This record gives sequence, structure tokens and C-alpha cells, in this order.
Amino acid sequence: MAKIEDLKEEARKLLREGKIKYVIGYAAGTNGWMASPIFIKKPEDVEKLVWDPTCVHNLSRFLVDEKRRKEREKQPDKRPVGIFVKGCDSRAIVVLLQEKFIDRNDVYILGISCEKGGVVDEHKLARKLEGKKPKKIELGDKGQLVVTTANRKAEFPVEELLAERCLECRANFPVISDIMSGEKIKRTVEKPFGSVEKMERMPKEERWRFWKEQLDKCIRCYACRSVCPMCYCDECVVDSINLAVSADTTAEEKADKVKWIQRSAESSENFVYHFVRAIHLAGRCIDCGECERACPLDIPVRFLNKKLEREAKELFGYEVGFDPAQPSLVSSFRDDDPEDFIR
Amino acid sequence: MKRTGVFICHCGINIAGTVDVKKVAQELAKHPGVVHAEDYVYMCSDPGQNLIIQAIKEKNLDNVVVACCSPTLHETTFRNTSKAGGLNIFRCEIANIREQCSWVHKDKSSATQKATKITKSAVEKVRRNESLEAISVPVTRRALVVGGGIAGIQAALDLGNSGFEVILVEKNPSIGGHMIQLSETFPTLDCSQCILTPKMVEVSKHPKVKLMTYSEVQDVSGYVGNFKVKILKKPTYVDPDKCNLCDECTKVCPIVVPNEFELGLTGRRAIYIPFPQAIPASYTLDIKACPGLMPIACGKCADVCDVKAIDYDMKPQIIEEEVGAIILATGYDLYDKANMAEYGYGKYADVLDGLQFERLCSASGPTKGQILRPSDHKEPKEVVFIQCSGSRDPENHCAYCSKICCMYTAKHAMLYKHHVHDGQAYIFYIDIRSGGKGYEEFVQRAVEEDGVLYLRGKVSKVFEDKGKLKVWGVDTLTGKHIEITADMVVLAQAMRPAQGAQELAKKLKLAMDKDGFLAEAHPKLRPVESVTSGMFLAGAAQAPKDIPEAVSQASGAAAKAVTILSQERLYHSPTVAKVLSNLCTGCGMCVQVCPYEAIAHKDGKVEVNEVLCEGCGTCSATCLRAAIQVKNLTLHQVHEMINACLGG
Repeated sequence: MAKIEDLKEEARKLLREGKIKYVIGYAAGTNGWMASPIFIKKPEDVEKLVWDPTCVHNLSRFLVDEKRRKEREKQPDKRPVGIFVKGCDSRAIVVLLQEKFIDRNDVYILGISCEKGGVVDEHKLARKLEGKKPKKIELGDKGQLVVTTANRKAEFPVEELLAERCLECRANFPVISDIMSGEKIKRTVEKPFGSVEKMERMPKEERWRFWKEQLDKCIRCYACRSVCPMCYCDECVVDSINLAVSADTTAEEKADKVKWIQRSAESSENFVYHFVRAIHLAGRCIDCGECERACPLDIPVRFLNKKLEREAKELFGYEVGFDPAQPSLVSSFRDDDPEDFIR
Repeated sequence: MKRTGVFICHCGINIAGTVDVKKVAQELAKHPGVVHAEDYVYMCSDPGQNLIIQAIKEKNLDNVVVACCSPTLHETTFRNTSKAGGLNIFRCEIANIREQCSWVHKDKSSATQKATKITKSAVEKVRRNESLEAISVPVTRRALVVGGGIAGIQAALDLGNSGFEVILVEKNPSIGGHMIQLSETFPTLDCSQCILTPKMVEVSKHPKVKLMTYSEVQDVSGYVGNFKVKILKKPTYVDPDKCNLCDECTKVCPIVVPNEFELGLTGRRAIYIPFPQAIPASYTLDIKACPGLMPIACGKCADVCDVKAIDYDMKPQIIEEEVGAIILATGYDLYDKANMAEYGYGKYADVLDGLQFERLCSASGPTKGQILRPSDHKEPKEVVFIQCSGSRDPENHCAYCSKICCMYTAKHAMLYKHHVHDGQAYIFYIDIRSGGKGYEEFVQRAVEEDGVLYLRGKVSKVFEDKGKLKVWGVDTLTGKHIEITADMVVLAQAMRPAQGAQELAKKLKLAMDKDGFLAEAHPKLRPVESVTSGMFLAGAAQAPKDIPEAVSQASGAAAKAVTILSQERLYHSPTVAKVLSNLCTGCGMCVQVCPYEAIAHKDGKVEVNEVLCEGCGTCSATCLRAAIQVKNLTLHQVHEMINACLGG
């Protein structure tokens, strides 16, 4: 059983000894039940850390911000940052390492295994509780989820409450860490791409209608991009108003910024935005599902990425985020590549 | 706005037949920034080019667009024309309205529309071109030749005689390649050794040639004109300067292994000289066969060596050299006979391959030139030769024709008849390919003068029966099954790229064709150049070849290498990749995809080595952030070109 106490002890020690700059973890949320990210700088605040199935956030996104901050500072504090990661989050760190965006010495990874659990899906929970507000959600010792509301305690099998991605997860414990709590339990996932397969079974026209309807909703708030640990580009090729300017950027370069899509949230532009983003995440997305969670319009963005994850696996045997030393999907080439998809 | 002139070529009726060139000119004249538009029947002709020069001067043009054939044909022509008019060559762009328009369309009005769009997009592109100057680099005026067979020797001699230093690297203990194993050569039947050994001596004594035998190329870095080569010199454990070839060491060596030079027909000792005329004339201690390099293990050879030439402490050496050009002459090996189970190779001692038969015919061979069966040392009275053994069989073996087998099999049959007058030679063939000077006459001579029996068909099976070899085949001319009871069977095995050549090609990043032979840059117009500039191909490394072809290709490769070595400086196209450092995050995907190793990590970003970069754009296509772009083909230019095509 994963114990947050061990990790807390380690975090406290590291902070006390000044070995890390701060710890990014989860604390009880303001709404009472959903955990929210917390930055802890003082050893005495470590007490605030929590670990339960509501710790949905992929905190590795904050490493991107940390890097930016360091780049801006004249004399940056180069100590590593402590970070709590689940299995999926740890794979995001692997990709960041693989792409040399961060250095292994920049992070101190405190890993927690989800074991047989995962994180809950807010929507599923709301439906189950029929509007009642949960107070506490725990993983029970029989692998069930125990939900406490104001007047009762209910138990549910994990399948009924966990996020779809957790049910399809093949890395339920951290693949990289400096200290880890919990067991490295391999769980059997019968259909790792079950949700995609369901989508693929739709006839073409219906699928088109479905996506058109979904993407027409998009208001291009870029929440999916902002929450994604892989969307760390300074300038987004499919965002015509975002421009990375440095001291040596010439006026000409600014003028030459290509506007591949328009700013307006129209159907065609939305399609280009989402499809380019999906392609740019091919072989990089680790399926933390944050894009979909952050979307205020409930667009099922995750499917696009999941589909490409599957293509990468089936066509090239490529799995994301397990080995920081492996070349990235789009930059690797094998002599024996059958290139079937071209014919 | 920049002033652009547009010139539309009729290309006779090649373009004008499908595209209304006048209309294209009219349309372009209306395009913003275009101050001059005209058409002409042959723009590449002298009067055509003069029109361009005149317009540049009279209309004070900044840019030129020529709408004509593919840029591979006349880009250089028109860029030089623009230069003559006083413009930077990158102020000229080609709009391909022939291969990409008139030749592939029939409908005149749509073709005209398309030609207009293509030309407009070129106008948009050229307007945003940078005026670049060629990148120049000094040249290391030395060459490396890999492979010491006839092709490598010839290339090294030609380069040496042109006055350039050459390093000739051979992986075996002696130079000479497969040619030195041959008995006689077609179609003149002159002795192979007699014509090759003088060349071997010449190359070894050539003041400009540095010979490195028993050595292998380990690594090549750098670029045309400036390669850095690492060569592994394997230890022979014998000092060639001290060795006086007394041969005492082989007499005491207790180890016997198959002799590679005799293709296993005889044995050799662990310490050996490949053949008496070997160059360098010295012994080699085969470490794989030797029981151990210490007196306690054996040490007999060192004991008997009076001149103390044997040095067990010799170590492998890595020698680094700098060269400006590289010639690959890595040669061939015969197709593995283990694949020819139906012909009983390996099972029956009297089933031989062509090279083994050469050794049997050779005066210096294991039988001193007598043709005898390996099994019982008796003279074979009936010999079956099987052509296309492993060649021209896409289902089971190699799809290609090995080219030389028709000729050497005719030669083998002839030589056999010259040795065994009362013998009978049979040749199974698919068809006879005897193109070449004196080749057809040679085959005819085999049939008419030496009574060789040619049977058109394939052999299905060879098996042993009462001490003889039964050959089952079919004569496709008569449709009859044939059974021959033979004393010996000789297989004309297919030619394959030499062992290790593919690994070397990968190290050198040379392209290979589907069969593993080194790929030429263009099958017709650049047959001796590899895809990598500064590396050239000679001999059977590129494709199956006979001796005259290998020699002429070697001389061709040497001449091509001289075109580089004779320069003081080399000029490199400046349309190379450029990093936009504000966008680069240093993820290194471009570093991994670059086929030329032109990109490297530096200070958290990447950096392009402009001399190595060929401007292929693979990096640009890979980069998620558009942080690396090829000069004069930037995303901005592509975007504007697309806009122009869409009518924007």
C-alpha cells in the first residue's frame, strides 16, 4: 500500500537540509474533496500534503514553468525541485528528459504507485452520487473505492469511478523516481485502446459528424495546451497571436511569423488546431488526460492522442515515456521499416 | 516593392502546346511586383538568355523568374544568366511548368491556369530569397581507397600518377583481391597473376601510395574535401621489415586451418603467407587460429625465427588520416553456397564453385594446374557447369544477373578441355549474355572448337550415386529430362557485396541498393559517384562487373576524385539549414534525423555545421517548433507560395 508518510518524511528532510528548492505535491482542495496542487517551501508545511484518488493533476507541467522561471532569473537557484508523480506523470518527466527540456538533476522525483487504483473521474462520481458532495475518497483495502458523503459511506468497484485513462493505463507505478512508495503491481489491461476502438467502430460519416460537433464547440481558450506538459514550445505554430520574442528577434522575423490558421474559433481553424496539436504529440503524449479534464467544453481531446499512441505502437512498436535514452518517435528511423502506410 | 521579371519559355511546343504561354505572361504582368513579363520559344538558347540579361539591365530587375523545365535541368543555366546580368544567383528562381504542368496535362485552359499559379508562387518565393554567397572550404589533397583488389589498385595508381597522395586500405594480409585467385581471364585467356602482379608491385612501390594491408576503416567523419578517417591496423605479429621469408615458421606451426586463398581446397598454418607473390611479402599470424601468443601456449614460430621478426606484443593500432576524397572498391564475395542445398554443395566434395575451379586450373593452385577431383584426386571426365546458380531467381535467391558467369563458365569449360582433352563439358544455362568486346566470339569458340555442350535449362537436383554425381535437369529446347552422370559439378555462384561492405557502408552513411551493393548517385549520368559527395564507387562493390569494367570504373572514380583534389577550395551551396534560436528548445530531434550529421547540440540549443549540411530539409520537417529552416525555403516562403497558388 502506498504510504504518503514515507514520502513526506523524505520531503521534510530534503527541505530541512536545503537539498531541494521546493516540493510540488497535492493538498486538500478548497472545495473539500478534490486535491489541488501545492508548492511547499518550508519543512513544517509538508504536513499539508495528501495522497488519494483525487490527485488527478499532472504536476510535471510545473517543471516547464520552473524552467522558464529559471531562464528569466539572473542568478537562478539551481537546486532541484521535488515533485510528486504518479505512473503517468513520471512518464511525462521521461519525455521531458528525452527531449532534453529538463535535466535529471533538475528534479527530485517522489513517486507514488497507484497500485490497483488510479484517479477518479469527476463526472462519473457526480453521476454516482446524484449531486451529493463527497467529503473523502479513499482506495479501500479490497481494491474498492470508498466514498464518504455528509450522511453516508459508499463503496464502489474501481471500474465505476476511475478515469477512462486509468482503466487503460499500462504504467500504474512510476517508471522513474528517486524514492517511491507503494508496490510495483503490474495490472492486466485487457483493452489498452478500448475507448479508441469504440470510436473507430463508428461509421466514417458518423465519426466526422461527431468530431465536427465536438470541435465546433471549441472556443480556443488553449486550456488543453496550457495544462499539457508536452506543450512547452515558446511559440505555438497553430496560434497566430503567440510570438516568441527574444532580444535578437528582428522586426523581419516578427513580420514573417506564419499565420497557418486564423485566430477566430471557426470550425476549419479548430480542426487544424486540434489535429496539428495531436500530430505534434504523436510519440510524446503519455495519456495523463489533463487536456480533456481541463477542457471547459468537454471536448474528448484525449481520443485524438490515444489514436496516435496506438498507431505508434502498432506501426513502429514505439511506446512513449519509458526510456529517456530512446530516440523520439518522429526522429527515429529503422532500416527495416516496412513503410506499409505509404503504399 | 522588389522588381521581378518573369520569362516564360515555350520549350518549342513542349510547353506552348499545352499551356497558353502568352496568357501566362499577361496574367503575371498583373501580379504585384512584376514589372516585366515575356515569353520566348527557347529561353535557354543564347537569344533567350540575352532577353533576360537585357531586361535585368533595362528594367532594373531585382528578381528573375523563369517559367520553363525542371530546375534540375536549367536552374544553373538561368542563375548564371542572372549573374551575367548583375544579380546574385539566388535572385533567380525556376517555375517548373513543363514536367509539373504541360507534360502531365491535356486540357489547355486548366494547364494554363496551373502554369500561372506555379509561376506566381515562384515570384512570391524569389521575392523573399536571401542573396547568398557560396560557402567555401579548403581541400585536403589526399585520397583514401578502400579495397585492394584490381579496382582499388587501379584507382590508387591513377590518383598517385596524378600526383596526389593515396592511402590504400585492404582488410586482408595481401592486396590482389579476387583477381589474384583467378587462373586465366576471358576473353583472351591471359594469365591473371601475370597481368595483376606487376600492378600490385607498382602500387606497393609507388612513392605517392601508402599501403595499409590487414587494416579496416573504422570510422569516417567530416565532409567532401575534408574527411577524417580512423583506420584499424590489425597486428600481424610479424615485422615485415625483418622477415626474410625463410618459411621456417610454417614448418613448425602445429595448427592447420582451411586456406582462404585456396577456398578451403587446402589448409594453411596459423602463421602463413597468403600466396608466394603476396604484397606486402610477409607472414601473418592468424590470432584466431593460433593457440596463444605466449611461449607457454606454443611459441614455436618465434623460436625458429632467426631474424626475430615475430613479435607477440604487437597491438592493434588506430591510425587517423585526413583525406579529401574516398573511393570505395570493396568488391564482392560469392553467394553463400550453403543456400544451394539442391546442388549438394557442402555435401559432396566434387561440387565446387567458380573460384574453387579457378584454383584447380591455376598453375599456382593446390593441384599445380591439374584438374583433379577433390574427393579422389582423379581426373574428371565429365564436368557439369551450372550457370545462374543463385542469380536471376527472385523467389529463392538473388533477383539480379551476376553478369560475369556466362563468360567465366565458357572460360572454365574451355580451360577444362585444354587440360583434359578427352573430357566432356556440359553447361546448363538460362540464356547466354555475352555482350562485350570479343565476348560472343569467345563463347562460340568454346562451342565450336572445344565441343562444349550447352544445355538450355535449369538443374533441379544434384546427388551422389556410386561415387559419381547425378545431375538432373531439363532441356527446355527439346522439353526432355536430362540425366548426366558427372565426375564434377561447378556452380557459377551469384556475386554478392563483399562481407563487411554493408557495415562499412552504414558507417560511411553510403546508400545501398536493394541487393546491398553500394548505390550510385544516378544510374546513367553519375555511375561512379555515391550519393555522398566526395565518395566514389569502383568495381564490384557497386554491381557485378568483370575486370575491364571494374578497371574502367576505377579510373573513372579516380578522375572524379581528382576533380575535388585538384581544387584549392571547394564551394558548397549556401542553402543550408538555419536555427531560429528563440524557438529552439534543444530537443535534438533534428540531430537524430539529420542524414549528414550536420547538426549538434550546443548550449541547450542546436547548431548547424554549414559545410556538412546539404539543405535536404529533413530537420525542418521534423521540428515541431519550426525552429530550424532551410535558407531560401523558409516556412514563410512556403506559406506565401501556397497563398499564391490558392489565389491569395
